[in-house]
Amino acid sequence: MRVGKPPRAARTAHPFLRYAVRRVITSILLVIGVTLVTFVLTNLVPGDPVAAALGQRAAEDPAIVAHFRAEYGLDQPLVVQYFTYLGNLLHGNLGVSTTTHNPVASDLAQALPATLEIAIGAIVLSVIIGVVLGTVAAYRRGKVSDHVLRVVSLAGLSVPTFWLALVLYYFFYFKLHIAPGSGRLDSDFNVPHTVTGLYTVDALLAGQLDTFFDALSHLFLPVLVLTLYTVGLLTRFVRTAVLEILDQDYVRAARAKGLPARTVVWSYVLRGASIPVLTVVGLAFGSLLSGTVLVESIFSWPGIGSYAYQAASHLDLPGVMGVGLLIGVMYLLVNLVVDLLYGVLDPRVRIA
Amino acid sequence: MVFRSAKTRIAVGSAAVALALVVTGCSSGKTTGNDSAAKTITIDKAFDLKTADPGRMYEPTGEMVDKALYETLLTFNGGDVSKVVPGLATLKESSDAKTFTLTLTGTHKFSDGTPITADDVVFSLDRVIGVKGNPSFLLDGVTVTKKNSTTVVLTTKTATPALPSILANPALGILNSKVVKAHGGTTTEKDGAEKYLNTHSAGSGPYVLSSLNLASQVVLTANKNYDGGDNPTYTRVVIQNVQGPTQKINVQGGSADVALDLSGTQATGLGSSVNVTSDPSANVIFLLLNQNPTISKITSNPDFVKAVKEAIDYSDLVSIAGTGTSQAPGVVPSMFLGALKASDELKTDASAAKADLAKSGYAGESVTLNFPSDITLNGIEFPTIAQRIQSQLKAAGITINLAPAPVATELDAYRNGTETIGLWYWGPDYPDPSDYLVFTPGNVVGLRAGWSATADASISKLADAATVGGSNAARSSQFEALQKALNDSGPFIPLLQPGNNIAAKSTVSGVVYNAVWTIDIAALGKK
Repeated sequence: MRVGKPPRAARTAHPFLRYAVRRVITSILLVIGVTLVTFVLTNLVPGDPVAAALGQRAAEDPAIVAHFRAEYGLDQPLVVQYFTYLGNLLHGNLGVSTTTHNPVASDLAQALPATLEIAIGAIVLSVIIGVVLGTVAAYRRGKVSDHVLRVVSLAGLSVPTFWLALVLYYFFYFKLHIAPGSGRLDSDFNVPHTVTGLYTVDALLAGQLDTFFDALSHLFLPVLVLTLYTVGLLTRFVRTAVLEILDQDYVRAARAKGLPARTVVWSYVLRGASIPVLTVVGLAFGSLLSGTVLVESIFSWPGIGSYAYQAASHLDLPGVMGVGLLIGVMYLLVNLVVDLLYGVLDPRVRIA
Repeated sequence: MVFRSAKTRIAVGSAAVALALVVTGCSSGKTTGNDSAAKTITIDKAFDLKTADPGRMYEPTGEMVDKALYETLLTFNGGDVSKVVPGLATLKESSDAKTFTLTLTGTHKFSDGTPITADDVVFSLDRVIGVKGNPSFLLDGVTVTKKNSTTVVLTTKTATPALPSILANPALGILNSKVVKAHGGTTTEKDGAEKYLNTHSAGSGPYVLSSLNLASQVVLTANKNYDGGDNPTYTRVVIQNVQGPTQKINVQGGSADVALDLSGTQATGLGSSVNVTSDPSANVIFLLLNQNPTISKITSNPDFVKAVKEAIDYSDLVSIAGTGTSQAPGVVPSMFLGALKASDELKTDASAAKADLAKSGYAGESVTLNFPSDITLNGIEFPTIAQRIQSQLKAAGITINLAPAPVATELDAYRNGTETIGLWYWGPDYPDPSDYLVFTPGNVVGLRAGWSATADASISKLADAATVGGSNAARSSQFEALQKALNDSGPFIPLLQPGNNIAAKSTVSGVVYNAVWTIDIAALGKK
């Protein structure tokens, strides 16, 4: 059998580019799968969205119910509803929320920056602290500092975030007066003109330094609570990953050569441990984007978690679908970035 | 300091330029930056807000917001919802309660300075009917006619004594028809003004809408053209979406002036800088026992129903609910016309319960109690109440199987009348006892309890009498008689009126609970 040559473009393309294209195509297929799964699951939930959305009396009035069903397309068969949804999705239309009566896309565009602002802060701090603590714990394996760090990280993972958020809010805001009240801004401030939706960035762009510092101070507690949890997770993973690398021959060789300790840590140990750590960082970031509902509730943070809870409790099918799709896409994006970074960090991945 | 590489020099230079631009061009984002006279009050509320459009709004948060933005033809004074008073108009009601003539007082104008006319009234009320939104049912069967430039006549085919109370609902606030029409407003389902009314207001209330975010906050500013009697002390109002536990800390810490959703437990120990106003709310938590024998042979047995009524320890339920909560005397809340007195409440009687249970032939079988697991009403969690009822009935020899489900799914079973025993609450659609005729045979909630129109002729007769109307005194005694009969032989067990606890800084005055709009923001003052 004669084996044909691969197409010219494929032959000439850089291995990393081919790898990236493959991952992007896979991600698109997964997004379509996410829409189907979200749609089916949302419609399997027992209960009538009309009953949940309309008041007691309104739901008794056939004319109002018929108008509601027609307005939201609920009078169509499920298959028609799905393909209508997909068709609208191609035009960036996620439907209209039965709760807020706004386009779901605009609701999500408002909620996402609020969550991003705390999630980005928390993941950046968590990575810095988690990598340092995890590496220290690994280097000091079996010593008192290792035990202390392991216990502290376990505590960070075990303490319920809802409780922790309430306690920290009580002490830092009410008792110590060093944190501001709930919400994204004090009520004395106007919301800065929306460019990115991130209040800190928008305040800077508007040249409102006092708003910037107020928004920054409001990030303190939610970011702290999320960081405490994520640091616990990352510290344990970094410790395990670093311990594995420390036993590798090439690390021993580097030490034997007499390389400075800082060079061994940065260029050998942490680089070697970066792949598993990167995986966990990706998952933790995805979890921060989608799972902050309790923290958002305590700090009155109008993010994705709050929106998802509100949509689910009102059986707001377009809202639930929108959140499901957004979270699915965010996970895919984070995983895509992580996969691409694998390729950057480890040449074996892109060649394979 | 020397920057060695070109890259570093460029980066540091760019950062310095950016910082310089920001600092030199900086302004204040504070609301008081340009207006030193602005007085802001911050109110914490757990939002259930869907819209600020009066034609579509029918949630407690929306009622409070729209009360501040729009005026109604009739209204209530303070917290007294048993008596309507003139608002934008005075009322003349026909003796058969079928014709209501409303004459504009002519002393109010819209926030843009234009006068309120009969055309605005007709448009606003017809719009509520025509858009088929949540509050449309309020004007079911009502025809609105303009008599002249200042007079509007509302007519109904059947006696509607509740209509004056209904007209006080902020959902029936009067809109500036010219402005609303210019932004897509119509009196049909094709109305497209909601988006506009969620960014601007078009009313004559003491405030105008400055901004609205359904998830986080609503900002109101004083209406400079307001000429009603309720001139606001605070020129800016920020209503924030905050949950109960955080509300408590906020009002103690000072970042909120008023907290509206404290449970009975949260309302205690707030310190001397905070005042708490506790009143029973207008919500009534009740049990229903299905009277349809095909659903349950045992709950449709009158002796079993009686035994359950006698076995429940009402004072115990009140005690777990906390500050402000009281036992519901009947299905009509205590502050409404026709409410029963505390002496008419159902009473616990363990020995009578035992005797009635024996008469019913109950053989110890398990009876299912359905309830919404995710409802917390004025801080009272339904699962807690259900568990307590289960243990009380167990002591009386009745085995209860708890069947919790999310409200969105449990509503179907409740509305279809398939629950054996159900634990629910009724929030008033309008503050008139006729709203509670739904608890009679063949009516909405009656049917949910499997109570058909022919199930109890004597109670149906009392209900028919109460429907007709008459003087307040006559209506009051009709509804009292009806409720006594319901307590005696109906399938409903009124349990609790949960406490409504409002905490406010001691410097804030005018905090009065109203069963329709919670608080009148414009009435809040400074001590």
